[in-house]
Amino acid sequence: MNIELTTQQKALQMEVREYMKTVMTPELLEEMKIPEFKEGGGPEFRKQYARMGADGWIGLSWSKDLGGKELSHVEQYIFTDEVVRSGFAYPFLTTEAVTPVIAANANAEVREEVVGGVKQGKVTIAIGYSEPNAGTDLASLTTRAERDGDDWIINGQKMWTSLGNFADYVWLAARTDPDASKKHKGLTMFLVPTNIEGFSLTPVHTLGVRTNATYYSDIRLPDKYRVGEVNGGWKLITGQLNIERLSLFTHGQVASLYEGVCEWAAATDAPKGGKIIEQPWVQHNLAKVKAGLEVVKLICWKQAWAMDQGPLDMADASVAKVYSSEFFVELYRMLLEVMGQAGTIATHSPGAVLKGKLEFRWRVGAVLTFGGGTNEVQRDIIAMAGLWMPRTR
Amino acid sequence: MDFTISEEVKSAQQLAQKILGDFTEVDKLKAIEQQEERMDTALWQALAEAGLLGLDIPEGNGGTGLGFYSLTTLCEEVGRTVAPVPVIPVLVSAAGTLKRFGGSAHNEKWLGGIASGSTLVTAGLEEYNNDDPTAPASTAQKMDGGYSISGTKICVSLAKSAARILVSARAGDDLVVALVDPRAAGVTLNAQRVTTGETRHELVMDKVQVPTADIVAVGREAVAAMEWALQATRTALAAMAVGVCDKMMRITGSYTSEREQFGRAIATFQAVSHRVADCYIDVECLRLVTQQAASLIDQGRPAEEAVKMAKIWCGDVTHRVSQASQHCHGGTGVDRDYVLFRYCELARQIELTAGSSAQLVGELGQDICADYLAKAG
Repeated sequence: MNIELTTQQKALQMEVREYMKTVMTPELLEEMKIPEFKEGGGPEFRKQYARMGADGWIGLSWSKDLGGKELSHVEQYIFTDEVVRSGFAYPFLTTEAVTPVIAANANAEVREEVVGGVKQGKVTIAIGYSEPNAGTDLASLTTRAERDGDDWIINGQKMWTSLGNFADYVWLAARTDPDASKKHKGLTMFLVPTNIEGFSLTPVHTLGVRTNATYYSDIRLPDKYRVGEVNGGWKLITGQLNIERLSLFTHGQVASLYEGVCEWAAATDAPKGGKIIEQPWVQHNLAKVKAGLEVVKLICWKQAWAMDQGPLDMADASVAKVYSSEFFVELYRMLLEVMGQAGTIATHSPGAVLKGKLEFRWRVGAVLTFGGGTNEVQRDIIAMAGLWMPRTR
Repeated sequence: MDFTISEEVKSAQQLAQKILGDFTEVDKLKAIEQQEERMDTALWQALAEAGLLGLDIPEGNGGTGLGFYSLTTLCEEVGRTVAPVPVIPVLVSAAGTLKRFGGSAHNEKWLGGIASGSTLVTAGLEEYNNDDPTAPASTAQKMDGGYSISGTKICVSLAKSAARILVSARAGDDLVVALVDPRAAGVTLNAQRVTTGETRHELVMDKVQVPTADIVAVGREAVAAMEWALQATRTALAAMAVGVCDKMMRITGSYTSEREQFGRAIATFQAVSHRVADCYIDVECLRLVTQQAASLIDQGRPAEEAVKMAKIWCGDVTHRVSQASQHCHGGTGVDRDYVLFRYCELARQIELTAGSSAQLVGELGQDICADYLAKAG
């Protein structure tokens, strides 16, 4: 039991941290001021993403025959943590969640096209799971794919297709067996190129970032874009959820906000003398944040370590999701309280503290507790898998 | 980064589980609760014979030398079984401090007897409104052949039967750590009943003559000893809280799965199961911060901040899990014929021992402030 990073792990951490400073160019920071490109997709983003590919930073966890380095989960987490901390809109779902599934299940030609493209930092993939009437109850989705000769005809609508406005593909879950009794067994996964005829989208502006509604109207998709077996989609969706979560709730991104607020509070005068940080209520908030952050760090490390030992315990994975998502929301509030009115000044406005990062993170953070599997379902899982309690109804 | 628990430590914990389980049936607990002193001496002997009292005592002194981390797993198991044995005051606060700061004379004199169960040395680290043993109000005056100590320590476990009580006192600018004989002239022991229902003692020392042979450390070494004792005690309390809370939560999970109202098990209501799931999350968080603090101390690395965070979590989680467990049980939970009340009492005792969450949040905040002001120059 030694819960500290080894010398090599620390070296990797610093190497990624230094490298990411070169990725976050002044041009990219400028581009990210445009709301459309805040989460990536602009020309400078594409340039830097491709550079990461050329420099060999994409797909480190992949197997060697895919061109990866087979990093352990712990090393992969260290990489992820630092990339998120840097603020680069790295498409983790593309690189860590979806691409390995495609590599393992896709037709050889598509595999070459997509996996190769991702490796080079030229391809991004949006997720097409949720629909207007299928969110938490994902298996009730109704987007249809019907076989027609060597092709599939796809019709339906997806919601919250983030990155869909610049992604090259949508990783689409569609119903291929309309028999309602086979809810989970009637789904198949497809890769839909976004330049295909019949694909369209409209922007959805949220409390935080832009996302999309995407439409699939009589799309004729060659069978080579089907991934995995017909009606075998559910296990491809659920198989990568834990990996997905481990890239959503990382420690560095929130730790850097905490550090930033501490530095600001130590440098800023309080109205009645001394510095902001010398006030007891400020110290109270900072201490609560620190004690909570410590657990985020330990939970992330423990998850990454456990994934290297074998399958992740179901209850533990849900604990990590619920705790981190709810704590992130608390953290945003407690740090914003320290800044008070100044905390409401948005990015690029004069007087914004920490470039308005917290004001923005709070906005984006509103989705955390329900995204990636709503916390009520996670608590159900904890009660059943962790405590052997009966299923709730 | 390695969360692996060694096979030796695991098997010691399993052995502790087995022995503690055998000795903590309700009838036995009830019988011990009737005694004047809340201690199961037969269980203590059984733990000694299994080598479990000497987990953090070197082999050369009659222990098994598995280290501090292993000792915290014993504390966890004692919490899980609410066993009436003084593992924290004797094995952590007293023996752990003597081992590290007592030098060979104290090691040879005391550790063997503690490991074999023949000698009890306890600790009195807290005073009224002061749980910091590096800054006691008690005073020590140098005299020929030792020190004369005056002052009051509170809620001391096993004060009557212990051979010595480890205390700290101020001698001018110096700190003194001493072993006080509770039978010495000038010592008064006043019984104090505490939340767990056990009798502890207010230790009043009026010019108690402590011979040089019973002085453990003076000056900087004494400060280091008391800093270690406080950190180790807090960490051990957090480990015990892991056991207490884990068990309370599991009792509650089982009870609500069986208890039926409106024709169904109440665990099938999300409002109930989610409350228990929240306990599960809390316990996992507490476990992680406790393991971190324990492993740092085990390796002899700086642990002050990790320990503070562990005790903050300990205070919050004991309170929340205890309250949720009571609540989900309804009236059954408060009935003294049911097991839960012992856990709730112990949880509160742990929460308020060696620094509460509110206090430590305040201290941690001051540390953060000092740290960042220094960085800001």
